[in-house]
Amino acid sequence: MASLSQIPRTMLCALPRRVSPAALPIRALSTSSKRSDATSSFDSPFRGMGNDKASNIPDFSNYRSKQGTKSNLVFQYFMVGTMGALTAAGAKATVNDFLVNMSASADVLAMAKVEVDLSTIPEGKNVIIKWRGKPVFVRHRTADEIKQAENVKVETLRDPEKDEDRVKKPEWLVMVGVCTHLGCVPIGEAGDYGGWFCPCHGSHYDISGRIRRGPAPLNLEIPTYEFPEDEMLVIG
Amino acid sequence: MPAASRPIYNTLFRKNFVFLGVVFASAFAFEMTYDNAMDKLWDRFNKGRQWKDIRAKYVKTEEDEE
Amino acid sequence: MLARSCLRSTRAVGAARNGVVNATKRAASSSSSSTANASSPFGLNLAGSAATAVAVGSMTWYYHLYGPELHAMTPAEEGLHPTKYPWEHIKWNKTYDHQALRRGFQVYQEVCASCHSLSRIPYRTLVGVTHTVDEAKVMAEENEYDSDPNDEGEIEKRPGKLSDYLPAPYKNDEAARAANNGALPPDLSLIVKARHGGCDYIFSLLTGYPEEPPAGAAVPDGLNFNPYFPGTGIAMARVLYNELVEYEDGTPASTSQMAKDVVEFLNWSAEPEMDQRKKMGMKVLVISTALFALSVWVKRYKWSPIKTRKLTYTSPTGGRRPGRH
Repeated sequence: MASLSQIPRTMLCALPRRVSPAALPIRALSTSSKRSDATSSFDSPFRGMGNDKASNIPDFSNYRSKQGTKSNLVFQYFMVGTMGALTAAGAKATVNDFLVNMSASADVLAMAKVEVDLSTIPEGKNVIIKWRGKPVFVRHRTADEIKQAENVKVETLRDPEKDEDRVKKPEWLVMVGVCTHLGCVPIGEAGDYGGWFCPCHGSHYDISGRIRRGPAPLNLEIPTYEFPEDEMLVIG
Repeated sequence: MPAASRPIYNTLFRKNFVFLGVVFASAFAFEMTYDNAMDKLWDRFNKGRQWKDIRAKYVKTEEDEE
Repeated sequence: MLARSCLRSTRAVGAARNGVVNATKRAASSSSSSTANASSPFGLNLAGSAATAVAVGSMTWYYHLYGPELHAMTPAEEGLHPTKYPWEHIKWNKTYDHQALRRGFQVYQEVCASCHSLSRIPYRTLVGVTHTVDEAKVMAEENEYDSDPNDEGEIEKRPGKLSDYLPAPYKNDEAARAANNGALPPDLSLIVKARHGGCDYIFSLLTGYPEEPPAGAAVPDGLNFNPYFPGTGIAMARVLYNELVEYEDGTPASTSQMAKDVVEFLNWSAEPEMDQRKKMGMKVLVISTALFALSVWVKRYKWSPIKTRKLTYTSPTGGRRPGRH
């Protein structure tokens, strides 16, 4: 019995013996087509395989296209390309579905919009609305207030922004009611500039919600909103 | 190769990157047409059963009242 | 010589690994050097029969241990098995009949909703399924919900919005039990999925109340007899009678029509994604079939040169027989 350590050596020994001289079966292969002396009308590729199964392979040469290798190249590329295209379409749809999963779900989207009936807000009044957990200020501005907000010299402001850029309709001012300093909720109709005043650290906002004095760096944020009807405001 | 298919081969399949581009472009085109065709087939299977088939009844009555 | 001994050793290892059954095979393979008795037909037959007996025996034993289904209840206690009905919306290529969903919602609202909640369905899901946006808004506004805390921290009532869920008839489970002799009317959002038999069971239950309980059936006080309900004593009385509701689309409101509509509606509330799911499934099946056929063709195409090639070798030494060294 040979021990395990001897196996590699025996294999090394066996290898050259297999390779260098022509092994019997392989040489026999080349002669298989010459043995096509079958009398039957059916031209089987397996003919002449009766005697020596180890040294015979079937002859498929009859199945080869007579017109050369390039005869149906277009068809072949078409089939392969179609498979690629179908796979790509399927993969795209799959990836797409996974990405859609990441977007907001229907119940979140349903809460994301708030409708406000504007006819209930008289001129010169503030209304605070909860939108996505944050307060939103809606102010029905008077003509005087609009004029006052528009007449401010924009260059002198800390966060220069024109009043007309902050409103869609001048009489309706819609802002997220979170102080840009540290997130307190400012008080309406207070402060030195006739707008909002943050009680936490004393930031003063004007009637357009722009920062005028105090530690806050930016103007009050404007949410996305629209007026689908005359007396209707949709925030979100 | 038959003479008729030679231009197809030369324009679409000869260069590999052109072939790839054709595959991806046709994937997009196929997806659109396939979705369309399948939606049509689906609507034919379910004629009169879906909301869009009965929606007109309820939307119209609303408008009449207004 | 070394190679041959090596071969023999690996064969022995393989035989040992394959276990008991191969013991006879090893005996057979080494029979050329040993006695002829080991490979006699009788020995082989004996070994084969023994292996078969062991296999069959172990399978029988396993089935005896884990195979038979155990029933905690007798068939009478399980309730009558519901009839299979040919539901149209169950078919693989059919959506819900949305007109039936609309009728079913009407039945739910006018009949079922007095006891059963439908807590997982918000009004917004009805939009584009059974009702228009305006109709759903009107229905939602008929109910009152708690608002967010106002400036003073008080919670007020506000009219419902599309994002609100259908209101429950009772404040909580305890109140529901107290109002129904201790029996809790289950929430109906997922009831079709939650009951064995699904649509068939609920339809059978709704329409299966007999005029009188059969002779000999014991019906406890406060319960009603229904053969389809497990235990046959159900706290819910028969609720659907002909002409109980008046359908707005003019469909005759027979008991079975109402039961069918409300079952389809409850099926929708349990599987609102079904329409979309079936459509997607059809698309995927068609694409996968095409892809399978194409991949079979491409496999044959790629393999054809490999399968049909021939190897020829011409010896450089002019066909000398290979010598041994």
